[in-house]
Amino acid sequence: MTPEHISHEQADEFAIGAMAPDVRTYVAFHIDSCASCAEIVRESEEAAAALLLAVPRRQPPGRLRENVLRSAGIRKAGPIGRIVQVATASAGVAAVIVAIASFTGMVSVRDQMNGLREENGRLQTQIDDALSQKVEILALTREVQEQEQLTNDLKTASRGDRDLILALSSPNASVAEVITVDPNQVAIGRLVWDAEQKKVWFIAAHLPQRPNGETYQIWVNSGGRYVSLGTFNTDVSGFARYETFVPQGLASYESAVVTIEHANGALERSGPSVFVSDLSRLRR
Amino acid sequence: MPLAAGAAARTEWTDEALMHAIAARDEIAFGVLYDRYVDLVYSASLRVLGDPQLAEDATQDIFVRLWRRPESFIPDRGRFLSWLMSVVRNRAVDELRARGRRQRREATVTTSEGEDDQVSLIPSGEGDDPILAAQLHEEQVLVRKALAELPAEQRMALELAYFGGLTQQQIAVALHEPLGTVKTRIRLGMLKLRRSLGGQVRD
Ligand SMILES: [Zn+2]
Repeated sequence: MTPEHISHEQADEFAIGAMAPDVRTYVAFHIDSCASCAEIVRESEEAAAALLLAVPRRQPPGRLRENVLRSAGIRKAGPIGRIVQVATASAGVAAVIVAIASFTGMVSVRDQMNGLREENGRLQTQIDDALSQKVEILALTREVQEQEQLTNDLKTASRGDRDLILALSSPNASVAEVITVDPNQVAIGRLVWDAEQKKVWFIAAHLPQRPNGETYQIWVNSGGRYVSLGTFNTDVSGFARYETFVPQGLASYESAVVTIEHANGALERSGPSVFVSDLSRLRR
Repeated sequence: MPLAAGAAARTEWTDEALMHAIAARDEIAFGVLYDRYVDLVYSASLRVLGDPQLAEDATQDIFVRLWRRPESFIPDRGRFLSWLMSVVRNRAVDELRARGRRQRREATVTTSEGEDDQVSLIPSGEGDDPILAAQLHEEQVLVRKALAELPAEQRMALELAYFGGLTQQQIAVALHEPLGTVKTRIRLGMLKLRRSLGGQVRD
């Protein structure tokens, strides 16, 4: 063994596990501090790992899932519904991992919104008009942002909330009004569709919290097929802000609907509808 | 948590995104990742260990460790699937060594060619996830094709090392071949594997 860089041949021997233990130790030590050799070994390991991808597929006993969740100390995770795969997200990790605001963060933003509504009914009316007409609200958002208190509060809000505000102020975002199915319901909702960030937000207020065993689920109707956008629940005050990615594989989307489903979400839209929203005129 | 984003959205996440979420203690993400790969991890463990109970134990151990120490996966050092397969391989080979089953694997490793006919009849475990299944399937087909095209002695050298946990010296002894011959077979075998997988071709 030499105190030199690792050859391709050595990288292959290392990756396939054929190296004598002393040389193996040297290689492991070396790639810890040498990025170029680590990259060579990584390529070899990708090729070696392929050997396992080719093995005949077998299913483990059904009890294994419970055993794993119990051993890991997880009690709530599952069963995962068999939900339609729309597209494999290819965005970077940071973009894919949506920062869901902490409870306090959301309460803070909600209070801001409520406070703002009370003290500025005129602005709220304008916002509502803008939302229902699905026009850009850039100018209005600027007006909102001019309020120093709100700006300061927003600085302390979570990253997710800032993303929403940014989306609202983006010319690429479209806002759809969400209409309650039950005319006696006081719930209000908005769907924010950001074509550039490929994100969609759903915001609801005065929407009753689902009891244990139930959840709200958002669906988007694409050519007559309802594709799940995910599940959410409201907090005790009936507020929800849910965000996810715009499904990439869909050619069209005509409408969205929010239904009540069993706790883990449904495979197919099956529960009663709460909200509907017309997406046909959204900017793509 | 008042906002329970469900499993629905996460099934669309990449492996790397799920691992990121798991590091942030996202139990649903763990469930999704488990469902995505449990069949593969179990099958690969079974291939190395040759014993369903041992394979089940290894699979449980691998996923529990993945939950407890998600930071062992370092995204900069390659994609998740390759990392997972190396974890499976190392865990299974450790087990193999601990149990002293090496002799048994040496005796059975030569029968692996016959499995390919059987394979096509078995649906992969990702049937619920069509795009992912298609990607994995495509990769599987590529690898099987690559393996099928390898000369038998090259394939055997790779499998004895990777599945059997043997060093090249041990392989040389087992096959009554010179060490240089074994090294050449491993080198050529790996080169062809990489080539068929579309990776960087090297001399
Ligand atoms: Zn080096």
